[in-house]
Amino acid sequence: MPPETTTDRIAVHGIEMEVLRLGAGAPVLFLHGFHPARRDARFLELLGRRMQVIAPCHPGFGGTPRPKDFESVYDLLHLYGQLIETLGHPRVSLIGSSFGGWLAAELALRMPSRIDRLVLVDSLGIKVSGRETPDILDIFNLHPDKVRAATWHDPRHAPDYDAMEDEALIALHRGREALSLYGWHPYMHHPRLAYWLPAIKATTLVLWGASDGIVKPAYGKAMARLIPGAQFAQIAEAGHHPEIEQPDAFADHVTGFLSC
Amino acid sequence: MDAWWQCEIPYPYVDKSITDAADSVRASLPNRLCDPKIAADLFHEVLDEFALCDELGMNVLCIEHHAGINSLIGSNPMITGILARQTKNVRVLSLGTLVSLRPDPVRVAEEYATADCLLRGRFEIGFVKSGGTEVASSNMQPVNNEERFWEAIDLVKKTLTSHDGPFSWEGKHYTHRHVNIWPGPYQRPHPRMWAATGDPRSAAEVGRRGMTHVLVLRGPEGTRKAYEAHRAARREAGLPKVTTDNFAYAAMVYVGDTEEEGIEGGSKLLWFLNTSLKAAPQYNKFLPGAAPPQAAPGLYRTKPRADAGIAFANAEKGVTSASQNAQKLMGLTAQEAMQQGILFAGNPDSVHRQIMEFYDKVGGFGHLCLIGRSGFMTHAESKKGIRLFSNEVLPRLREIAPIEVG
Repeated sequence: MPPETTTDRIAVHGIEMEVLRLGAGAPVLFLHGFHPARRDARFLELLGRRMQVIAPCHPGFGGTPRPKDFESVYDLLHLYGQLIETLGHPRVSLIGSSFGGWLAAELALRMPSRIDRLVLVDSLGIKVSGRETPDILDIFNLHPDKVRAATWHDPRHAPDYDAMEDEALIALHRGREALSLYGWHPYMHHPRLAYWLPAIKATTLVLWGASDGIVKPAYGKAMARLIPGAQFAQIAEAGHHPEIEQPDAFADHVTGFLSC
Repeated sequence: MDAWWQCEIPYPYVDKSITDAADSVRASLPNRLCDPKIAADLFHEVLDEFALCDELGMNVLCIEHHAGINSLIGSNPMITGILARQTKNVRVLSLGTLVSLRPDPVRVAEEYATADCLLRGRFEIGFVKSGGTEVASSNMQPVNNEERFWEAIDLVKKTLTSHDGPFSWEGKHYTHRHVNIWPGPYQRPHPRMWAATGDPRSAAEVGRRGMTHVLVLRGPEGTRKAYEAHRAARREAGLPKVTTDNFAYAAMVYVGDTEEEGIEGGSKLLWFLNTSLKAAPQYNKFLPGAAPPQAAPGLYRTKPRADAGIAFANAEKGVTSASQNAQKLMGLTAQEAMQQGILFAGNPDSVHRQIMEFYDKVGGFGHLCLIGRSGFMTHAESKKGIRLFSNEVLPRLREIAPIEVG
């Protein structure tokens, strides 16, 4: 029987957060990327069969409020630090996807005693190449068709705007606004994070969609090399969102890593 | 009424097959397509046209845009500085340096103070919000562009009006711990300030600040609403009434000897609408902050739904995006543009009549900003239009004194 998913509202520092929760056992916090996890996402269900999944929505995404002047990764890191305190588990594992991977890596550095294991999925956050080679595709400055082609192994997985309801499209655009505030400059990374990644103490898996054109697998390999002892694995026939394009393979990798 | 002539110095000499194939004629079009020898000729021609305006007694204004065929003026203060030395009589308006796209408003204030000194007080300062393709060219965050705009104006004003040694600014967007420009502006407390904006919220802010409010190609309905938002905000804030001198309108204008010649000249100005506005979707409709989230259904769907829903409802409230405004303007003919009040063209009597009809429809304004040369209009044609407007139309507009509105 699939685990029941609930949508909890948790107030953290006066900010009302929307959090999907399912499953039982060891707690795992899933930090989303360009879009919040859907309540009916198969990868969540698969993870929820094996562990206690806690999937918050970043302020400004979905229908959630974003407080005035809450515009930076600095704000998000304080928020998630406070959320982890509020949840009260002695230790949690983190799965960070895309933009959420950047947050997860920063949190692993900021609160090492509270973070059990770390999974970085097609993560952003560091500068790898030279100054004239962008590592992360500029999703705000390129034609949407190119962004779509780079995002998905199979573009049929891309959201169909014509089929979406008004509210869903409004939420999508609000999320883009929030994301652009959080990650505009420097674009989707902190110039000093690569210097600090070797200080991560958590056992880490770096997981990558083999067809990702937003951040290529070579970027993930560079990230894995910087984190002591990190494993690197690719998921075939998946782009920037292996959790959506290959949820079973994704869940196998993650549950295998977190339960060993 | 005063008149202000301007030319953005467009660069129309890119093969049509290239502009047709490109998804944007701004921001991303390679600059190998711009021949600097032709650019030099254009700069000199237009500077000569500004000088002709000075000779004939028509004020001039200088606009700034970046990286596109629509304008070669990427550095407004540089052109303003040239005009400061080359004009002798008329007033010069910078409309303006794109202040929210510049990293340091103090530097902008410093440049403006220098221009005002060179002009011995003939200078006026305008601010334009910008956005779209210019965000790509400037690397600046688009969502809080408007917030930066107002903070930058506050800092420019503070910089221009502070004369007692360094002050410190630690705002949300700008930090400058030691501000003390030399020289300060020639005009005290500071040169008159203008702002170009059409949406009701920022129109209200322009009103509360008492700035000269310019509407660009908005037509009578949008212009009237924006002026009214300006006046209503003043009423609600308990501020005194203003005169028509606080309001300006920018339209394409061309005067010929005959009606036909004037309209033919006006048709050439439409190049600005039908060729130079083309921008890729990532620069306008999908750009975060360019349209309110409520407009998303209309922006994202490729097939509009029968019940246009929220997007339509909000369009009616005046929150259409810049891209939607641009779409409406791109296919216009001269006759349509004249009917919509964005082109005043014909013989001198006809142009005067069109301006006054517009004046009556919007409740009056004290400044007409002429988009006087664009596209393939030649230097000779441009000079002819300037002479005819200055000699035949401007004297009649000058007779219209400011009246209190509010």
